[in-house]
Amino acid sequence: MLSVFKSIPTHMDYKGQKLAEQIFQGIILISAVIGFVYGLIIQQFGWTVYIVLAGFAVSCLVTLFIPPCKHLRNPLPWQPVAPEASGEPTQKPQESIKRKKHK
Amino acid sequence: MNTVLSRANSLFAFSLSVMAALTFGCFVTTAFKDRRVSVDIHVSKVMLKNVDDFTGPRERSDLGFITFDISADLEPIFDWNVKQLFLYLSAEYATKSNSLNQVVLWDRIILRGENTKLNLRDMKSKYFFFDDGNGLRANKNITLTLSWNVIPNAGILPLVAGSGHVSLPFPEQYEATKSY
Repeated sequence: MLSVFKSIPTHMDYKGQKLAEQIFQGIILISAVIGFVYGLIIQQFGWTVYIVLAGFAVSCLVTLFIPPCKHLRNPLPWQPVAPEASGEPTQKPQESIKRKKHK
Repeated sequence: MNTVLSRANSLFAFSLSVMAALTFGCFVTTAFKDRRVSVDIHVSKVMLKNVDDFTGPRERSDLGFITFDISADLEPIFDWNVKQLFLYLSAEYATKSNSLNQVVLWDRIILRGENTKLNLRDMKSKYFFFDDGNGLRANKNITLTLSWNVIPNAGILPLVAGSGHVSLPFPEQYEATKSY
């Protein structure tokens, strides 16, 4: 059963994270406003709580277990891999010198 | 925000903050409401005894037995911020030894959703009406008031006295029933 959960893609790129945060904040705020007005009209605070919980559940589904359209659309442009032969020997002594200075 | 747990944490915390703001909003909408209702109390019978007071020092004190009727409509008090009402009937009087005495005779809890129209007949007091001494006999003025404590979902717990009380004199002798 765990393999099903592990197979759901949950990794998100940067733009997707921003979109996810905006989406869940929007959903919860809208459900809060609707819940407050509805509770005020029928004079039962329990319904306000239920509506906010429903908004929480909806935004859970949308932002946590995201549909594939939201992630990996804007992958970060990583640097290309540096060539190993010339790069590493010169970098290592410089890094060790820097660490001694920091101490 | 790139792991499920991080997003879930952020989502949950935001939901709780929104819930707290909504609860504060619920409090604000009912904070200045007047919770008084007119109450009709009627006493049908009073009897007085002089017995050993087991609740205090070993001396004989006055013990009163009251039979009363209450009718009130508490519907306007209940709104979305009221969880329950704690009603109590209290007797207030003055004696030679104490200038102010207040004794609770009867109480009841009314939850939201229960029947809010009170129409009680021939009720006996729930608690003993002991006086601190012998001040009840031939007392000219004993006032019975129905008050309630409003218990809200969010906010202050006001103590409200119902508008409508009854004052009555107590009998002159012990073991003599006085009817009104």
